[in-house]
Amino acid sequence: MKKVLLIFLFLASVFANQSNVEKRIYETILNALFPAKQTICIWVDEPSKVELFKSINGVKVVSNSSKADILMLFKGEDIHKIDDSKKIFANGYLVFQRVKGEAIGGFYWQKGRPNLVFINKKLKESGVSLPKKLKKYIENID
Amino acid sequence: MRKFNLIYIGFISILLLFITYFYLNIGKYEQQVKDNIKQVIFKNTSYFIDNIIEMIDNEVKGDLYSVLKNNEKLRKELEKRMEILINPSFKYVYMLYRDKEGKYRYLLDGSKDDKGLFDEKFDVNKEEWDKVYDTKKPTVIFQNNFSGLWVTTLKPYIQNNRVVGVVAMDFSTTLLGYLSKTLEPLKNLFFYIFIAAIFLFSVILYQIILQLRTKKESVTDPLTGAYNRVFLREFVKKINYYSYDVAMIDLDHFKKVNDNYGHKAGDYILQGFVKIVKSSLRQKDVLIRFGGEEFLLFLHRDKNKQSKAKEVLERIRKKIEEYDFKFDGEDIKSTISIGLVTDIYTYRDIQEVIKKADERLYIAKHSGRNRVVYKEQISNSTNRLSISQIKSAIDENRILCQYQPIVEVDSKKVVKFEALIRLIDKDGKIIYPNSFIDTIENTNIYRDMTKKLLSIVFEKIKESNTSVSMNLNLSDIVDNAIYETIYNEIKMHKNLANFLTLELLEYELLDSEILYDRLKTIKEYGVKIALDDFGSGYSNFAIFKTLPIDILKIDGGLIKNIHELEISHKVVEAITFLAYNLELEVVAEFVHNKEVLDKISELNIKYAQGFYLGKPS
Repeated sequence: MKKVLLIFLFLASVFANQSNVEKRIYETILNALFPAKQTICIWVDEPSKVELFKSINGVKVVSNSSKADILMLFKGEDIHKIDDSKKIFANGYLVFQRVKGEAIGGFYWQKGRPNLVFINKKLKESGVSLPKKLKKYIENID
Repeated sequence: MRKFNLIYIGFISILLLFITYFYLNIGKYEQQVKDNIKQVIFKNTSYFIDNIIEMIDNEVKGDLYSVLKNNEKLRKELEKRMEILINPSFKYVYMLYRDKEGKYRYLLDGSKDDKGLFDEKFDVNKEEWDKVYDTKKPTVIFQNNFSGLWVTTLKPYIQNNRVVGVVAMDFSTTLLGYLSKTLEPLKNLFFYIFIAAIFLFSVILYQIILQLRTKKESVTDPLTGAYNRVFLREFVKKINYYSYDVAMIDLDHFKKVNDNYGHKAGDYILQGFVKIVKSSLRQKDVLIRFGGEEFLLFLHRDKNKQSKAKEVLERIRKKIEEYDFKFDGEDIKSTISIGLVTDIYTYRDIQEVIKKADERLYIAKHSGRNRVVYKEQISNSTNRLSISQIKSAIDENRILCQYQPIVEVDSKKVVKFEALIRLIDKDGKIIYPNSFIDTIENTNIYRDMTKKLLSIVFEKIKESNTSVSMNLNLSDIVDNAIYETIYNEIKMHKNLANFLTLELLEYELLDSEILYDRLKTIKEYGVKIALDDFGSGYSNFAIFKTLPIDILKIDGGLIKNIHELEISHKVVEAITFLAYNLELEVVAEFVHNKEVLDKISELNIKYAQGFYLGKPS
């Protein structure tokens, strides 16, 4: 009984930690990209991540990508169908590699470490000025 | 029992300590093993990294970054060789450089998964990596992340005495997890034993506390919180009573408080009294409720120091005297009398000490109350016999009866004797009742003495075939035990009982119904009842209505100056007139000269006694 309890607590804490880290990172990213917006509408191409975004204060998940302020791509499939006037944020290294020409930034885990990238060109096009603490993640990628 | 408990607690505590020690040390040993494993990992990764560095040295000629940037083929070749090292434990091997902005970027990446591209940014623990760049020394980073333990070994790649890159190797292991898993059952076992021991210890502790509390309750007076006599029994066995001064304390006129304000007020005062006393005591002093409103106090005396008991008790006495016991809107005043024994060494045992304290308390009571009486005061103020002296006099038959004749005034013939009790001390000196009667009042000794006196009186009646009177208090008739003694003696000598007269003293109003019934019963054996010292003290005429009296003895205070004072003459005349109307015999006491006798005769008083007619002998 004690073992079952310990395993449960361990797993719960692992997932809680990972999901908490992600939640905090996305919270920071979204606040940086939309500093003035009270409610940020996002569209997600991965249903399993919807709950994660819903749990962030001031974030509304929309089902229609045309109503979104930013598109969060986890799969990055059918990229040609995506409205390129919207801000795109890539999640995962492979997706980032695939859409880095259109994306404003990306977040992915590499070698067990979280990696964050903001693409300078897209930031300028969107007129986004990142806060000082995030400037170190800006990359000049064409 | 207490010793057994201590051994038990000691045993359980040692057991608990052992188990705790083992339990904690398992964790310590586990940590040591883990540290050793980490060291081994570091050594291995260092060895591999050194090989990589050697390989790069051999292949790269010129500026590292430029060579690798411009030679993709070389990059791929080097990465391929690095990839050989990859296995389930050595997960990633790569080389980064620090750009002008301080960001770390890939030079080479031999990893099979999560492979980074040349010049691509990689977010690392910048602080640690900078340290390698700045110090040119290798370092190792341990981190427990979500999937296990990660060890990253970093070594600088130096060209022209400048760090141009850092080779990193990430080692991931589940070995430590296996180790923890292996030790887990053992840790669990100790954990359960530890919990069981704690539980057992708690149960025992609870039982002991419960036992101590029950024991404390059994030796504590529930009303006042002072110890009780059960405690006293154990206490006197355990202590060296030479280390204590002993005081007996009694609340003065406590019965009156109960009568006037009720028992609740009495209880309140007892509680308040104990509180005040306790506030003046030290931890080693012991207060015991000895009975009703009587308390026994053991004041601890420090070795080689003069006793402070008198000062302490005087302070307590004063505090009580000045204190207003506020009960139910009433301010009740109280005082205490204290008998103190400091000369402990002069007594055989603690019982004698307590008896002595009680005697001194008695003296305090009879010296006006609200005072502390100790040895020095007694020797200066009184020559009363102690209870033990009286008891030994009775036991050793040193009781004497002197007889004073009562004569018929007209014929001058002795018709009766009044028996007057005396004790003889060890030196043969005669001791008069005022030196011992008060002391033994309300004690069993008084009853024994009454019994002895009755038996002497009956012996005298038997010898002389003459009536004899003896003194008793009215309260003796009311007291069940004393009455029983009197009644049994009269019954035993019923053939002589009609020669006996009981002279009753101190006729304050008592339960007249019991008195009447008992006197009536006694009188059925022919015993006569006389009222002694009539005309003084509590004399009142109602007594004639309620008690079956045969003889009236007029108080000596009226008789002794009847020949000089008109008022005495008139009072005696009136009493005589009353007595004759009630058909009582009259005896005049204290006839000490002829003039008095003549006056008695004039008033037609039939019987008289006094030194003029015959001294007690």
